[in-house]
Amino acid sequence: MNPIRYCQIFLLTLCLFLTSLPTSARVPSVATTPKPITFAPVEDEKFAFGKVDLDLLSEIKLLDERFEKEGAVFHETNLDAYLNRVGMAVVADKKVENVEWKFRALRDPVPNAFALPNGSIYINTGLLALLDDENQLAAVIAHEITHVSERHTYLRNRSLRKIMLTMNIINTIGNWNPIGGPAGLAISLIASVSPFMLAISVLGYSKDQEKEADLEGLKAAAAAGFVPDGMPNSFRAMQKDVEGEQLNSFYSDHPKLQERVNYTTSSISADARKLTAEEAKTAKSDYLTVMEIADRHDVELAINEGRFRSAVFVSQKLVSLHPDSSENVFYLAESYRTLGPRNAELTDQQRTSGAKKKAAKTRSKRTLEEQDAELLKTPEGQEAWKLNSEKSETLFLRALELNRFNASAHRGLGMLYERLNRKQDAAGEYAKYLELAPNAIDTERVRRRLAVLRESMN
Amino acid sequence: MRLQVRFVFVILCCAFVHYGAAAQAEAQYLNPKILEKKVTIHSAALLPAKVEITKESAKGSEMMVAESADISSSVMEAVGHTLQQKKINVVANQFEPGSMDDSRKYQLADIQTRYDALLPKLVDKSKDVKKARFTLGDEVMLLNVHKDADVLVFIRGQGRMFTKGKTAFSIINIFDLDFPFATITVGIVDARSGEVLAFTKPMSASKVLKDKKALNKMIEKSLKKLPATAAP
Repeated sequence: MNPIRYCQIFLLTLCLFLTSLPTSARVPSVATTPKPITFAPVEDEKFAFGKVDLDLLSEIKLLDERFEKEGAVFHETNLDAYLNRVGMAVVADKKVENVEWKFRALRDPVPNAFALPNGSIYINTGLLALLDDENQLAAVIAHEITHVSERHTYLRNRSLRKIMLTMNIINTIGNWNPIGGPAGLAISLIASVSPFMLAISVLGYSKDQEKEADLEGLKAAAAAGFVPDGMPNSFRAMQKDVEGEQLNSFYSDHPKLQERVNYTTSSISADARKLTAEEAKTAKSDYLTVMEIADRHDVELAINEGRFRSAVFVSQKLVSLHPDSSENVFYLAESYRTLGPRNAELTDQQRTSGAKKKAAKTRSKRTLEEQDAELLKTPEGQEAWKLNSEKSETLFLRALELNRFNASAHRGLGMLYERLNRKQDAAGEYAKYLELAPNAIDTERVRRRLAVLRESMN
Repeated sequence: MRLQVRFVFVILCCAFVHYGAAAQAEAQYLNPKILEKKVTIHSAALLPAKVEITKESAKGSEMMVAESADISSSVMEAVGHTLQQKKINVVANQFEPGSMDDSRKYQLADIQTRYDALLPKLVDKSKDVKKARFTLGDEVMLLNVHKDADVLVFIRGQGRMFTKGKTAFSIINIFDLDFPFATITVGIVDARSGEVLAFTKPMSASKVLKDKKALNKMIEKSLKKLPATAAP
């Protein structure tokens, strides 16, 4: 064989070997043995920071500051204190180099949480609203803390860098290898297929990290006094898939939720503390009380981002907590109004993989106004709009019954009537809004709507 | 034989790049309201630009957070400069991070999010701006920008800076067409109705991001079709 071919094969083998290094060098495998959990404590294993890691850390710090500057972080005194209390309870006395623990809510209605390697843990308002109690929150935080303390981001970054280099080299060999001969063909094939194979190895590696974070997090939350069931229950809460977005993709970076429920449940010992039905009810009520303001904010965010079913789901929670709160009833009314011609809960048919894919495609191609218009042409859409507008009107009126000075309810009614083409009623409600809230942030907006309405009535 | 095929491919690429440059000048889409002069832009409020650049090395891409912020400011300046050349008054920046309280930050972030949600559709079907298909809704009024502002200007961009190693790889693998580039989109939105009045998406080599003169030229060219405001 031509010596150049030998060189190419040697390079390829070396690259593939390098690619496999990071996983075996640092992370203990947990794929086959969920019990007993035997991860080495972080303090025992000193992570040596290299230039690459320090560069990443400095970029991450800037990114963290940017979240604050750009209004991505939700601040509310009680919530901030609460997240910090739960987070620090899980952290306990864990000291990790180059880490400053911070626990914050991110203004994002998508249920998610993530950790930056500098110790900033972000929980989206969408996830805070989906969870049911403090134990579930502690489990989520503990999962993220494990990613930080086990240095998963740095390890993944190192691993990806090696893999990218390998992919570039393979690509080069593939592109410049003369056609012909078995080695040439093999290398060409790997050049086209390997990115996929390598991607799988990267994503698979991450699944191990995710599992490690789940199981280590479970231990840490339990050690801090939280009920271990919080971990599987948090996954169950995420399984709700209110918007119909969870697709069973061929490969994703987290293990499937049901799989996570199973292995975390099986790793909880039989004599572990469990909540009684009464305790669970109290825990839920306590949690929702702390989250009330954040949940209202999340409803606004969900409406702004067109996640109308999530808005209904969260505001229903709010109303169940305080049925006589004019504000909470207003949020539910507003959610039904903006839901428009959609059904509040997905049907079984809408939950099928095919329907979810179709819905995702429609979302990417059509604007919200176009989606509404298309739905309103169907009998189901018309029926849903009739039902939602009736519910919305009833709820707005109920909000006003509970507090006749609730200006927002007048504005909501105005918008509802305007959409129903009840111009006179709409104008009346807008006028009441402007009278009650002359200095509100959206005064100009409502004034303009009122002017347009009056003009069209003349 | 193989060399000949490659030669033809390179020629085709050159033709493609040339055609792309010509098409870029055309990549400006105006709402009929602007073309028919139903709306005249006298004054504009620039929202903070979001231009993200990454450093691409042979080992993958890295964030450039500080550089992205600097370049965002430069692009904003360039857009402001171009608008002023068209006699469009640019109102003073009301969105300095230090001067905003939380609720103001949230309002800005929400409107930026609305625009970001619309952006993929704007990029994919830019021609539909001419059909007045896109709007952010009258929620844009929640920003309470300067009362004289007729339009809001949204600026987004992406850029890839190559290291020497990556440049070498991209030259060796020239047929992968993997080059450093910068693409900027400018969306001009009615400050009251939220309707998208103009959209442009210039693309260029990423070096333009470091060269103010070239950047200004790129932006000027990309907004060439936007009519200048006649003196009141």
